[in-house]
Amino acid sequence: MKNNKTIAKVLSYIGRYKLLLPISILLAALSVALTLYVPILIGNAIDLIVGKDMVDFPGIISNLAFAAILIAITALTQWIMSTVNNKIAFNVTRDIRNEAFGKLHRLPLGYIDTHAHGDIVNRIINDSERFSEGLLLGFTQVFTGVLTIVGTMAFMISISWQIALVVLLLTPLSIFIARFIGKRTFNMFRLRSETEAEQTSIVSEMVGNQKIVRAFGREADVSAKFDEIGDRLEKCTLKAIFFSSLTNPTTRFVNNIVYAAVALVGAIAVMEMQSDAAVMLTVGEFAVLLSYTNQYTKPFNEIYGVYAEFQNALASAGRIFELIEEDEILPLANEAELSDVSGQVEMSNVSFSYSKEKSLIEGLSLSVESGMKVAIVGPTGCGKTTLINLLMRFYDVDSGKITVDGKDILTLTRKSLRGSYGMVLQDTWIFSGTVKENIAFAKPDSSDEEIIAAAKAAHAHGFIKRLENGYDTLIGESGTSLSQGQAQLISIARVMLSLPPMLILDEATSSIDTRTEMKIQDAFSEMTEGRTSFIVAHRLSTIREADIILVMNDGKIVETGNHVSLLERGGFYANLYNSQFAH
Amino acid sequence: MAFAVPCVKYCYLVIIVKKLLKFFKGYGKESILGPLFKLFEATLELIVPLIIASVIDKGIDGGDKTHIINMCLLLVLLGVVGLGFSVTAQFFAAKASVGFITKTKAALFSHIQTLSYSDIDELGTSGLITRLTSDATRVQTGVNLTLRLLLRSPFVVFGAMIMAFTIDASAGADFAVVIPLLSIVVFGIMLISMPLHKKTQTMVDTLLRKTRENLSGVRVVRAFGKEEDEVRDYVSINGELTRGHRHVGAISALMNPLTYIIINFGILALIYVGALKVDSGNLTQGEVIALYNYMSQILIELIKMSNLIITITKALASASRISAVLDTKTSQTFGEREEQGNGEYSVELSGAALKYRRAAENSVEGVSFKAKRGDVVGIIGGTGSGKSSLVSLIPRFYDATEGEVKLFGHNATEYTKGALEKMIGVVPQGAVLFAGTIRENMQFGNKSASDEEINEALRAAQALGVAEDKGGLDARVEAGGKNFSGGQRQRLTIARALVKKPQILILDDSASALDFATDAALRRALREMDGETTLFVVSQRAASVMHADTIIVLDDGQVVGQGRHDELLDSCPVYREIFDSQFKKEDVR
Repeated sequence: MKNNKTIAKVLSYIGRYKLLLPISILLAALSVALTLYVPILIGNAIDLIVGKDMVDFPGIISNLAFAAILIAITALTQWIMSTVNNKIAFNVTRDIRNEAFGKLHRLPLGYIDTHAHGDIVNRIINDSERFSEGLLLGFTQVFTGVLTIVGTMAFMISISWQIALVVLLLTPLSIFIARFIGKRTFNMFRLRSETEAEQTSIVSEMVGNQKIVRAFGREADVSAKFDEIGDRLEKCTLKAIFFSSLTNPTTRFVNNIVYAAVALVGAIAVMEMQSDAAVMLTVGEFAVLLSYTNQYTKPFNEIYGVYAEFQNALASAGRIFELIEEDEILPLANEAELSDVSGQVEMSNVSFSYSKEKSLIEGLSLSVESGMKVAIVGPTGCGKTTLINLLMRFYDVDSGKITVDGKDILTLTRKSLRGSYGMVLQDTWIFSGTVKENIAFAKPDSSDEEIIAAAKAAHAHGFIKRLENGYDTLIGESGTSLSQGQAQLISIARVMLSLPPMLILDEATSSIDTRTEMKIQDAFSEMTEGRTSFIVAHRLSTIREADIILVMNDGKIVETGNHVSLLERGGFYANLYNSQFAH
Repeated sequence: MAFAVPCVKYCYLVIIVKKLLKFFKGYGKESILGPLFKLFEATLELIVPLIIASVIDKGIDGGDKTHIINMCLLLVLLGVVGLGFSVTAQFFAAKASVGFITKTKAALFSHIQTLSYSDIDELGTSGLITRLTSDATRVQTGVNLTLRLLLRSPFVVFGAMIMAFTIDASAGADFAVVIPLLSIVVFGIMLISMPLHKKTQTMVDTLLRKTRENLSGVRVVRAFGKEEDEVRDYVSINGELTRGHRHVGAISALMNPLTYIIINFGILALIYVGALKVDSGNLTQGEVIALYNYMSQILIELIKMSNLIITITKALASASRISAVLDTKTSQTFGEREEQGNGEYSVELSGAALKYRRAAENSVEGVSFKAKRGDVVGIIGGTGSGKSSLVSLIPRFYDATEGEVKLFGHNATEYTKGALEKMIGVVPQGAVLFAGTIRENMQFGNKSASDEEINEALRAAQALGVAEDKGGLDARVEAGGKNFSGGQRQRLTIARALVKKPQILILDDSASALDFATDAALRRALREMDGETTLFVVSQRAASVMHADTIIVLDDGQVVGQGRHDELLDSCPVYREIFDSQFKKEDVR
């Protein structure tokens, strides 16, 4: 049932290439028919070569000429067919990938936060490919395979049902043998991959920490351990490889037996035809029959192989469609653009939770005047980051209202709302590209001077200068790796460059040493001047300068006030402060 | 012309890989017998068309039924013998290839153990892991297939041609035209499409990276409102990839039609020539059919061969990567000195500098200081100021690119590797534990350490409680120490270095995850432990270094201050700033 649904969806994708699919099927049928017919013409020609002075040249030439034309047509058909198939397969892969990737940015953040990234990537990249190769190419292969089998069988029966019977009975034997060996070696291969995994984990642990291994002089012991696993791996690999490699020789053996049987039955039939005309078989047909026999198992093996792939492909398709059909964030009908932000933010009676079972933020109210510095403090898991998720509309409130400049943020476009905030998070994000590109992410058309100025403001200029190619150094996955602190400096420079009217700094300097941090704080102070800013921090220097400190615990604001007034109150904040300061 | 470049590359690869041949030692017999038995099997296949010819000419035309039956029994016999040959061949090939790769991997792994830090930096950890895993597997598959098929396929192709010549010279000539034509098509298409495949693969990698980045950076992308730009980027890379795929596809699509035409026109020519010869009485009908069968055989083998060459090329590329690592001679040599010297200063640096390979500038420079036994040296500075680079010179993780490093009065390069390891204990950043038990981890630097010694080290490192909580020294440690918190791991790695009882102990920012009380207790315990040990404490925290005998203050790779705490507070603005940033304003969490 589920498979049928998936197939229907697949067809809808292919539907975009409506004309191409029937053309592909038609061409496949034509090419199979021609490939089977050409040998018959050749057989006919051979029949006209009887012996010395008994050769019918005009007959041969007309047969061969006809064959030549058909051969040319077959080749052309095959070529067009592959081209058409390529077009369908690659374009469908492209369409699905584009759709899946586009979907990524229309999914609510909740989906991305709660699903393994590796899994999503796998769906977009690998499943899409497996799907197009397995389903589309698999389909044409199965189709031509079945046609070939049916055509060959029909031809064999038409010549001699006895021979057809021999082939029909004996050929499946080779497929059974292949399956038998496959099943028997399954356990051997499993043992092998387990041992291999064991070795890989040694490799990644020891080579991954090669410097420590060396620092402690453990090279010899580690090698000994590796070799011990290596010996075991050698034994089980040998076993698995050898037994699985028996498939080819044994199926070939079965084919050889079939061949001998056909040769026997066929030759006797040809011989007896000359005396009694019960079985019609000529020498030429006999030769064709033998060459058919030789290739007869090929389509069987192909279909068998494709079948497994087909199942995988369907599973892959199912996984992609699952992603593509996830619920999207739907923009409201007439969302307004937020512009000329003054930075007045109001939260009234906001409630939110990630899951129904556990409520997090409840009845939160807060009023922030434009230009205010808001520090958010509290123990881990108290809802600080959640507050930011709500302000940025990464998540939407369950109830209550958040307004910016008096406008309910649910009525604003996400893009304009988010564009009004500059955000630096604790988890930094560096993408593959140059330092320059990373800093200019928000404003790709920035001049070099602007970029360098931003980097200087973020105190990142010093280390960038020392990189191999300065601002043009490739960083991220495929380039130089940066330390957490350096990555944070780049993220700060990114925001310094775009300077939106409001700021969100979520532990933005947690990995930076205190002295550099102090200097960045100066830059932040300048930046936050006149800008509404929300700062999650644990360092007192930052918090003390705030206009309001929100002390959060268990999703609620338990205290508000400035540093002095909160200390005087002697409540939660004072406790928190003293517990840290006691050391 | 198009072939010239890949061919040269191919030869080059073969030359590189020749060095790996020594790992076949001990499998020489198998490496020869494997292909040999394959050849026997192929020979049998070449006899089959001759038997069929005889069935037709002698059996059918001669009306000899017994001959037909005998010949068919012979076919069965050939099948049985062929099966025996090929099973033997598979066994030898599997044995040789598996043995070869086991040896290669063992050699590679132990070679990696000899590499210096600079070499590891250059080769890259993940690169080394790939060579030991997927590269090795690819080489093994390549070797196995080579032993099985590389000789067989050409043998069948040329064997078929020779057989054709023995039947009839002009028919043989037909083969001599068809085979080169087919080879050009099959190998040409393969050679042209292979680099293109590689190109599309790198585009797939880009696409993969892009997807991953967009997931990990989803908040940043959305915060900056760059969703549409990212999608546009992706669509354009994807479009390029699709064009690449279709381009390769268009070339590969020529393979079937072209080979089909060549082989079938060859057959047509064969039949016509055969007809002429039969008419003049120089050839029989059965022989024409035999020739026809030979022609059919060569195409299958050529295609097998082209697939084989793709596998072999991949294997060669992997082999050359493995070979390159094996060829990387360690960039460090060690001296002969086993005994620790008896100079006055345990560590003495004069004008030392370190520039990493491929770095533009020195990471640290102009470092000079002397430390006596029992001294505590503090090294402080911001992120990337060169603290770790400085201390990495002492155990020769990296060699000073300028100046000199002396240990107990002798240049560090005079000591053997073992002597350095014995003398110096290092607790690196990152606090890595290995899978095993706590005891095994503690014995990492000293295999014969007793439980008593281990407990003593654990106590000094404030880690005794950690071990006890987890159930003692036999408690499991998961790979990377995942079942311990960051602070617990740091304390255990400190204990691991203490078990060695080193003369020089370096704590490279290894107490950063400890709370202040534990940090203080640790420093107290270290001071009390052994009056002889010279202790280096690298930290960003002033509190960790302020009681040191000497403090070295680094800023941007330069030494900007050196002295005791109170001296530096007066004389070194950088030190004072660090101190102020941490002491005037305390943390509030």
